Amino acid sequence: MTELTLAELARQTGVPARTIRFYIARGLLPPPARAGRGACYGPEHREGLARIKRLQARGLTLAEIARRLGGETRRDGLPVPSAWWCYPIERDVVLWVRADAAPWRLKQVRRAVLDLAAQLKTIQQEEDNDVDASD
Amino acid sequence: MPAIEEVVGFAPRQAATGQEIRLAMQSLWLTGRILPVGARLLVRHAFRSQEDQPVEVIYAFALPRDAALRRFRVVGEGFSVRSELKPVQEAVRAYEEGLEAGHLATLARSYRDGIVNLTLGNLRPGETVTVLLELLCGVELHDDGLRFRFPFTLAPCYHAAARAVQAEPGLGEMELPEEEFGDVILPRWAADAAGLHAVGFRLAVETAVEAASVGSPSHAIQVAVEKGRSRVTLAPERDVPNRDLVLDVRTREAYCGVLSGLCRQGKGQFAAVIPSARFGARREAPRRIVFLLDRSGSMSGPPIAQALKACEACLAALGPEDRFGLLVFDNKVEAFRPALVEASRESREQARAFLSTVDACGGTELAAGLRAAADLLGRQGGDILAVTDGEVFGSEEVIGEARAAGIRVHCLGIGSASQDRFLALLARETGGVSRFLTPRERVDQQALELFASIGRPLATETAAELQGIPGGRIEPEPSKQVFGGTPLVVFGASDGPASGSLAVSWQAEGERRRLELPLEIARSGLGETLRLLRGARLITDLESRPEAERQGPLGRRAERRAEARLRRLSESYGLASRAMALVAVVERAGDQPGVLPATTVVPVGMPEDVAFGSYFLDLQEVPAKCVAAPPRRVRPGLYVAPARLLDEPEAIVAPDVLPAMALCDAFDPLLELACEILPDGGLPGAGEEERALTSLLALLWFLAEGHSERCGPYRKHVRRLVGFLAQAALSERARRIADEVLELARRGGSLPGDWKGLLAARPPAPELWDRIAEALAQQAGPSAASPGAAIQ
Repeated sequence: MTELTLAELARQTGVPARTIRFYIARGLLPPPARAGRGACYGPEHREGLARIKRLQARGLTLAEIARRLGGETRRDGLPVPSAWWCYPIERDVVLWVRADAAPWRLKQVRRAVLDLAAQLKTIQQEEDNDVDASD
Repeated sequence: MPAIEEVVGFAPRQAATGQEIRLAMQSLWLTGRILPVGARLLVRHAFRSQEDQPVEVIYAFALPRDAALRRFRVVGEGFSVRSELKPVQEAVRAYEEGLEAGHLATLARSYRDGIVNLTLGNLRPGETVTVLLELLCGVELHDDGLRFRFPFTLAPCYHAAARAVQAEPGLGEMELPEEEFGDVILPRWAADAAGLHAVGFRLAVETAVEAASVGSPSHAIQVAVEKGRSRVTLAPERDVPNRDLVLDVRTREAYCGVLSGLCRQGKGQFAAVIPSARFGARREAPRRIVFLLDRSGSMSGPPIAQALKACEACLAALGPEDRFGLLVFDNKVEAFRPALVEASRESREQARAFLSTVDACGGTELAAGLRAAADLLGRQGGDILAVTDGEVFGSEEVIGEARAAGIRVHCLGIGSASQDRFLALLARETGGVSRFLTPRERVDQQALELFASIGRPLATETAAELQGIPGGRIEPEPSKQVFGGTPLVVFGASDGPASGSLAVSWQAEGERRRLELPLEIARSGLGETLRLLRGARLITDLESRPEAERQGPLGRRAERRAEARLRRLSESYGLASRAMALVAVVERAGDQPGVLPATTVVPVGMPEDVAFGSYFLDLQEVPAKCVAAPPRRVRPGLYVAPARLLDEPEAIVAPDVLPAMALCDAFDPLLELACEILPDGGLPGAGEEERALTSLLALLWFLAEGHSERCGPYRKHVRRLVGFLAQAALSERARRIADEVLELARRGGSLPGDWKGLLAARPPAPELWDRIAEALAQQAGPSAASPGAAIQ
């Protein structure tokens, strides 16, 4: 019941067999329990595939997912950027973002900056309200 | 003494890490025939496994324009097996079953945007297998020849939901959302293509009329001319996969005629080529045009420099009666003016100034750009000239939107590995023209050529019909418009050998015009190729039209209908499509069932002119050198709602020391001169006589460089100069000199002299009238009296 062939796993999860093999080769999924003809896949593969899908939906690439699963972090130097975008968020907060970032990264950054801006605004409003109330 | 590293043999290594690259695909070799209306190609992929376990190799490539896969043959030790064409699901099943049984399985499946995954499963350690893939593709046709383009690499493209990252130093990878793109696997992109698989080619070019030249702006080639054909070979032994192969074929004269033959089933097949000159001369009429400039991150470096040059060249060629708009786009669209403006000298100058601030960054939201351009043109309509690299995934949607807007889109593609297929489709589906350049070419002249032809079609409402051809039909529907420089091509078929005619009629200058070509369909070696080329065109056209509605049961039914149509088309032409894939399973001695092969994806080179960092940035990294860019221009007290600011950042600030940017060749001085021409057609100066003299010198310079009223990219400028000079109020002597030069210009002649040098000093000295008179007299011969002398 819990032991599946690759074709069955593919059918159940809707992930094509070629993609599952690709994930195994990339180290995102464990290899099948036995080698050769009796190769079988279990619940850990199903869960693994679901996790990969979740992480992909959050915008992570397979390389990042592999890094996350492997607990790996890397810090290589980047070239000095030629230009920066400047976002004045508040009177006292200005944010600099390197202009040569990949568009996808800029999108992520933008979302985070929006959150930050909203947060700062709420704090400000709450404080204003407090001041009004104490008056 | 420095330590000497021990080196054992040679192996490609990654430049950034020094790691050895194990190539699963060793080489890619392109052969085939390029015909006047398309090409029939054979691509040889040599795979060899260096791993110690069976592998599954995935090679992703982009289809050229109007292309379809026909079949492949898998050749290895002791076997040679041909592929079968099957509906996609069946093909995948056959592949998986073959793989499970331990056999060598091969699958060629195409996805959206013309991306193909060639998957070779169960390649054994040390085994060598060759896949010979046959495909048909179209060419970019010009009146006097053609341009052939074959992608040796697949350019990474923009898509709002794509994920991209630098997986290892110098190696980028990109993934597309599965819901939209299925299980397509994209290649990994190597910042440095050296060390990747070798590419090469040997092609036969067959033209209908004698070829005047065969050249390549992308590769070093050798051309051998034989009877009626040229053999083109890569000059060096091998090259790297980091750019398209581009071949330019120019013929001695424009070809007008019909290629025909009988296909295997004995049906007649033909392709007629009618050069644009047959549709009459270009008429002058005011134009309404919007320039749409792509300034996305992928354009950074030479492409944006080239694109800007192209736009400036076109701005300079606008007449005072024209109206234009200018838009630049990345993630968002920015307009030079909110409405179309008159092409006065001031507005053109301001547009140039606007362009000078354009820098490349961000995504490629081409659809938004096209929408904005269509809005700008409004109900009155007009033309859009899109200058872009076309690096967009999900191109079918862009084409759909452009078609819905109902406005002609002309494309000037720029880049070393760009989406020729996409831009050709975008232009064709909207009734426009597309041209594709490479970064090593001069862009301004080509842009002017394209610009001169668009806006005013030579023919509209073009229709073609066959006469006296039993069972004759025209398919696909030929273009409704004909523009200068681009011929009309009509494909069709008949029941068998036939003799009749092809009649083409069109609307021009308020009347219906017509021409008839004799059409003789007889046995020839071309019939089958013509049929396949036609099939590839039909499949590409159908695939570019996305399902009308994606949601709901109605949408699913429409989707199924579209797929069934595509499948029928595929089956009848024997060509693969998104609905039909090619598969082959080879049973070898000693195949072990159930072995799980390790997947390897064949890396390709980053297109040579696209900055690696414009797509792949290390996401783990936080910019460490923020302090390197001191905030210089933050205005105190500025506060705008954050949401708006995030759409429009306050400023883009460059650090004090900018890295030296490698630009293309310097500006053409003739272009600078062309930009100076005022709306009345003359050059600036004090007083009529001085302006006339400056304009006359400019005219002589244009003529000396080979541009006349009728030919050369600056013919429009020459015409305007002539117009100005013909009307200028001049003294009797100056008038006579001017008239002689104008007469010379009308004949297409030129005068020897350093006109460029004489024009350098402004205002020109009045004595220069004498210099021109002398040159005229010298050319007329010693016996003729000089016009200057006649007055004295």
